[in-house]
Amino acid sequence: MEPIIRTEKVDKFYYLGRPEEVRALNQVALEIFKNRIVLLRGPSGSGKTTLLNLISTIDRPTKGRIFLFGEDISKYSDVGLSRIRQKRIGLIFQNFNLLPRLSAWENVAFPLLPLGVLEKERQKRSVEILIQLKLEKRVNHPPEQMSGGEQQRVAIARALINDPEIIMADEPTSNIDAESVKNLLEIFTDLKRKGKTIIVSSHDPIFLDFSETIFFLKDGNLMKIEQREKP
Amino acid sequence: MNRHLNLLFTAIGNIIRNKVRSIVLILCLIAVLFPFVTALSISEGIKFQSLISVEEGADIYVTSDHYGSNAPISLQHLQRFQKMEGVVKVFPRVVGRSYFANRLATLVGIPAENIPKSIRLMQGEMFREKGEVVVGKGLAKDFQLQIGVRFTLSVNSSKIFKVSGIFDSDTTIWSSNLILMRFEDASEFFQMRGMATDILIYTRPGYAPLLAKEIQENMGVSNPDSSGPPLRVQDKSLVKRYFQRGFNYKAGVFTALFTVALALAIPALLVVSGFGQTERRKEIGVLKATGWQTQEVMEMVTLENLVISLTSAPLAILLAMAWLKWFNGAFIAQFFIAEIGLMAPFPVPSRFLPLPCLFAFLFAMVLTMVGSLYSTWRTATIPPAEAMR
Repeated sequence: MEPIIRTEKVDKFYYLGRPEEVRALNQVALEIFKNRIVLLRGPSGSGKTTLLNLISTIDRPTKGRIFLFGEDISKYSDVGLSRIRQKRIGLIFQNFNLLPRLSAWENVAFPLLPLGVLEKERQKRSVEILIQLKLEKRVNHPPEQMSGGEQQRVAIARALINDPEIIMADEPTSNIDAESVKNLLEIFTDLKRKGKTIIVSSHDPIFLDFSETIFFLKDGNLMKIEQREKP
Repeated sequence: MNRHLNLLFTAIGNIIRNKVRSIVLILCLIAVLFPFVTALSISEGIKFQSLISVEEGADIYVTSDHYGSNAPISLQHLQRFQKMEGVVKVFPRVVGRSYFANRLATLVGIPAENIPKSIRLMQGEMFREKGEVVVGKGLAKDFQLQIGVRFTLSVNSSKIFKVSGIFDSDTTIWSSNLILMRFEDASEFFQMRGMATDILIYTRPGYAPLLAKEIQENMGVSNPDSSGPPLRVQDKSLVKRYFQRGFNYKAGVFTALFTVALALAIPALLVVSGFGQTERRKEIGVLKATGWQTQEVMEMVTLENLVISLTSAPLAILLAMAWLKWFNGAFIAQFFIAEIGLMAPFPVPSRFLPLPCLFAFLFAMVLTMVGSLYSTWRTATIPPAEAMR
């Protein structure tokens, strides 16, 4: 079976050529298959967020190649990468990155604006997803009036609005309470049931039993790969 | 189309959501644009009134030429001009200045039948008898002059004038301080009997250039055989050119000064439009991460600038109109009209033409674009992860 994501000898340097140069990733090669729950695990500074940023196309590797859906995206233009993100990848950020002055549904609907979806339809689709994520009472609330768990569910709703094939989440449990973590795992399980591929970058042990593929990273190196039975 | 509409509404939403930044930006733009719009409208107003005066005036103006400047001309020339072919009407005029209390008034001595049509009597009647004058509305109002009032002027206080009428005119700039009287009274007042400041010649259509040339060649500086002082001839087109050149020059100088001010305003606007730049940078990063393209981000920011400019320019124009109406163009009018002080004693002429208003909008657009477009483009073209960091 063809992997949905593949990396080939990927390096990522920050401050390249400067005295403070940092090698965040070193010759990372991995394969991720469709409809799996994947965990990128490692201590702080191990390079898991950097790796997630690269495979989600929001950052570019210094060296090496990344294949998404069988295509080498290393040479893709800015427009090409934006299109992939728009249609095939949903991102959930560690600090949610919701736009502060917008309501929950407006935050969710933001990715639909450049697609020319009119307001009525945008609102309908956003509210549907928010209801699925049990946020029906928060539809018109701005982020500052919501708890961490609620904000995260809004961020998940935004990631799902274009029905992407892959959902990527960076440290999704770091800013939410235990009840919200439980909800999150339920949402991810449900998404997997719908055929989505879930990639999580986290050092939270709760994901160890939950994930099917685990990539262990340390100091920018891929140390170990574990394949497990489906949860 | 829907995509562009979505981006437009989002841009408007952004302006409303970022109230403080938008208001500060609009106020800065108004502060920069308002003097410019006011100045251009005053310049256009003066130019317009000048052209009315010139159009109503004679076809040829003849004076003596003393060392290259206009000088009084002898009335002996009158008959000679009257006999020239193509001449319809010839009359002398005396134009001089004298203080009326603390106000410098312009005195014009002219035959009553030759008063320009734009001068309309509001009260009383045109001067007929010796010593009778008609005064401009502004002068009458400021000094509470009424029909029958007698007064003297500083140059020759032995001469007593009597107000026979008060007039209004389309050309406020010239008429507000104007006192019109019989030619003979003006000659007597300035003690220049037998002379006029200029002779006005009206011609049949098409004759003016030929007659001007003939007078200049026969009696001008270039003819050493002519008797008496040489004559200086100016036809209507030349006078019109003088006016236009003068006001275009002033408007040009003002625009140059304004451009310098604008150059100084750009860094200030950059600072203002940079308010919330960190938040903006993060927002652009999120937009890019959720699939927006650089072009769409740029379009949204351009639309924001367009809306800001479309708001600022009309407000600047409205403020300029209000400034002219209630403050009579104070501080700015003095640049275009000499000796008027802080507040002009007459309604400062102004004209709001579409082109200067369009310039105001373009200036606003350029300023907001300079303040935001490059920084947006830079943020939108770096990897979203970096923009959100």
